[in-house]
Amino acid sequence: MKKEEASRINCSMLLQHINQAVCFVGRVSKVHPSGKTFTAVDGEGKTVTVELNCCLEEELSGVVEVIGLVSNKGVLMAATYNLLREDRGTPFDLELYNEALKVIHDFPQHYPFEAAVSG
Amino acid sequence: MSIPLTQGAIEALYKGLPIKNPLLQLLNIRQMTSNSGLPRFRLMMSDGQHALSSFLLTTQLNHLPEQKLLVQHCICMLKKVVTSTLADGRTAVTVMDMEVVQSPEETGGRIGNPTPYNKDGQMSSPAKKSSATLEPDSSSATAPGPSHRSTSFSRSNAAQSSPTNSPMKVSPMKDTISPMKVSPKKEANSPMKFSPAKDTNSPMKASSSSPMKVFPISTLNPYQSKWTIRARVTNKSNVRQWSNSRGEGKLFSFEVVDESGEIKITAFNNEVDKFFSLLEQGKVYYISKATLKVANKQYSTLKNDYEMTLHAHSSIVPCEDNQSIPTMNCNFVQIEELENRDKDAVIDVIGICKKAEDVSRITTRNSREVSKRALHLIDSSGKEVTATLWGEEAEKFDGSGQPVVAIKGARLSDFGGRSLSALFSSTIMVNPDIPEAFRLRAWYDREGYAVNSQSLTERKSTNSGSRMNWKTLSDVKNENMGHEEKAEYFSCLATVVYMRKENCLYQACPSADCNKKVLIQHNGLYRCEKCNREFSEFKYRFLLSANLADFGDNQWVTCFQETAEVLLGHSAQTLGQLRETDEAAFDEVFQKANFRTHIFKNRVKLETYNDESRVKVTVMEVLPVDHREYSRRLLSNIRRLAF
Repeated sequence: MKKEEASRINCSMLLQHINQAVCFVGRVSKVHPSGKTFTAVDGEGKTVTVELNCCLEEELSGVVEVIGLVSNKGVLMAATYNLLREDRGTPFDLELYNEALKVIHDFPQHYPFEAAVSG
Repeated sequence: MSIPLTQGAIEALYKGLPIKNPLLQLLNIRQMTSNSGLPRFRLMMSDGQHALSSFLLTTQLNHLPEQKLLVQHCICMLKKVVTSTLADGRTAVTVMDMEVVQSPEETGGRIGNPTPYNKDGQMSSPAKKSSATLEPDSSSATAPGPSHRSTSFSRSNAAQSSPTNSPMKVSPMKDTISPMKVSPKKEANSPMKFSPAKDTNSPMKASSSSPMKVFPISTLNPYQSKWTIRARVTNKSNVRQWSNSRGEGKLFSFEVVDESGEIKITAFNNEVDKFFSLLEQGKVYYISKATLKVANKQYSTLKNDYEMTLHAHSSIVPCEDNQSIPTMNCNFVQIEELENRDKDAVIDVIGICKKAEDVSRITTRNSREVSKRALHLIDSSGKEVTATLWGEEAEKFDGSGQPVVAIKGARLSDFGGRSLSALFSSTIMVNPDIPEAFRLRAWYDREGYAVNSQSLTERKSTNSGSRMNWKTLSDVKNENMGHEEKAEYFSCLATVVYMRKENCLYQACPSADCNKKVLIQHNGLYRCEKCNREFSEFKYRFLLSANLADFGDNQWVTCFQETAEVLLGHSAQTLGQLRETDEAAFDEVFQKANFRTHIFKNRVKLETYNDESRVKVTVMEVLPVDHREYSRRLLSNIRRLAF
């Protein structure tokens, strides 16, 4: 799936995006010993379970951006992810990100991300 | 041929002696404005021998003059009159019933040569009266009020040379068309206006001994000229001098309060001398005759649409009876509530001064030195806030013993979150004698001292939060910023899109504090006109012209040494050398600096150079963008716009 089509969401919006491509940003909370799944917390403090298609090679911690599909159980089936490094630059402000998220969802007419992608 | 008038009637009427149906000629009739709204007519009647202007027409008979039945020189029969004596001894004759018996055409002008009737050759003082007020046509009898000018009735005598002259026109002393004010005590009767020759409605002032009708401050407006207020001075400023392009002078202002409200009064130049020492804070005065105008909210924070300016005829008289006047009109806001108020709001607060810092001296942007002192106030909401006092107030403040401090008219700022600042017009009261103060004291002694309060002023300590006036570049043009004489300051986020490489540097005087451009002499030396010296070297300094842009607009700005160095990332000296030695490297500095985004703190001002005026923007400071803070601001702006 194309990254551009995936809408940015937080946990409260998961269920409205079942079977849709989404982009989720949150802090890694717990990694399952199998390395196939982990939980992440969003800017509001809510948790989502992320399932990976392949095992985790590396230690996952900090803020991660996951792109995937939302299953009908509300689990994020990840297609790809990337870690936002904490050691460089300004630390990522998850609460602020959440506020911005609310704005783009409250005013979709001003943030037509899907339309911008076409062509 | 006219009907003969009743001789001696004037005297009889004046003395209150019974006289049946006297025939009198109307010499003049004048309409007066009345408090009740009904017109009131004043008549000057003559019996051929004497004339008396102290006749009042009962309002029941208003139709007579209104329907032009009662006109000058007609002859009337007075069927019922009431002669009354006013408190100051003057006599008024109220005509309760009369009949016009001959028209002016038939009478053929003024009968005889009546002289104004004087009781003892002395006219009594102006007054307020019980039933009717008379014009103060006083000569010597009156005890003058502060701006009292007397008009002498006897003078007008002389003026009666021609029959067409209406004797009513008591010509005041020609040099003074002085309005005098008489405010009647009762509403029923309107004050008689003694109009000087030309003018019609000049109010006259009564003498100081007379109680006048007092108007509530809340009723004052520029369209009403005759009023007196009785109010207490709540705040008196010091005398201030000013000097600007339009001139200079001195002024002081004070605020007064009565039961109905408050108002600000300003005195300029001569009036400063006249009234400054007379007025004392806390005392009550009768004030009348000042100019009312719409309040300049920039300088006053009182709840009144109008404010007053004293002028040469203004009157201020101390008042003894002051129980009913409140001492202060305050609307205290709880400290915890301050968070919900808007920045720049003017409010009243009261709190215990938990701690007062020492007074310190700082230098303002205008290079002025001023004293300041921060107080930490706490109230029963358990919240604390920092209030800043300035100048003399800061210096003389004594915070020992954790006093109750009340500030009326402080400005709420978002400095450090929420804080208060005393304005020039604020009133600071330490341990005031008001119930709120006692309540606070009791609360603090009981429990307040132990409260671990949270200060509104420390909480959001944004380093960039103080006094930033955020604008976008299009705002600068749309809001006509900098067009006034005063410089305006603003902050913005913008990207450098162009810099003038040529002429970005100039050769400056190498002396420590001198930055003046030096001129190259023929002898190879550099001359500084300011220092009046010649040097063998110079120092490079920046004078960079750049174009900044944001999403909406662009703006040419000037950057001096410090700000240019931040933008370019190199010192002026380095760049000067590069320019001479390695042009490619010199260009690259500009390439790298281009299209970088920064926070700019700017000054915009109207500058005049050789008859041409232009709005110029100068960069005062360049700061890196704090994206989180910027995002927070954008989010808050978005949310605010959404409502």
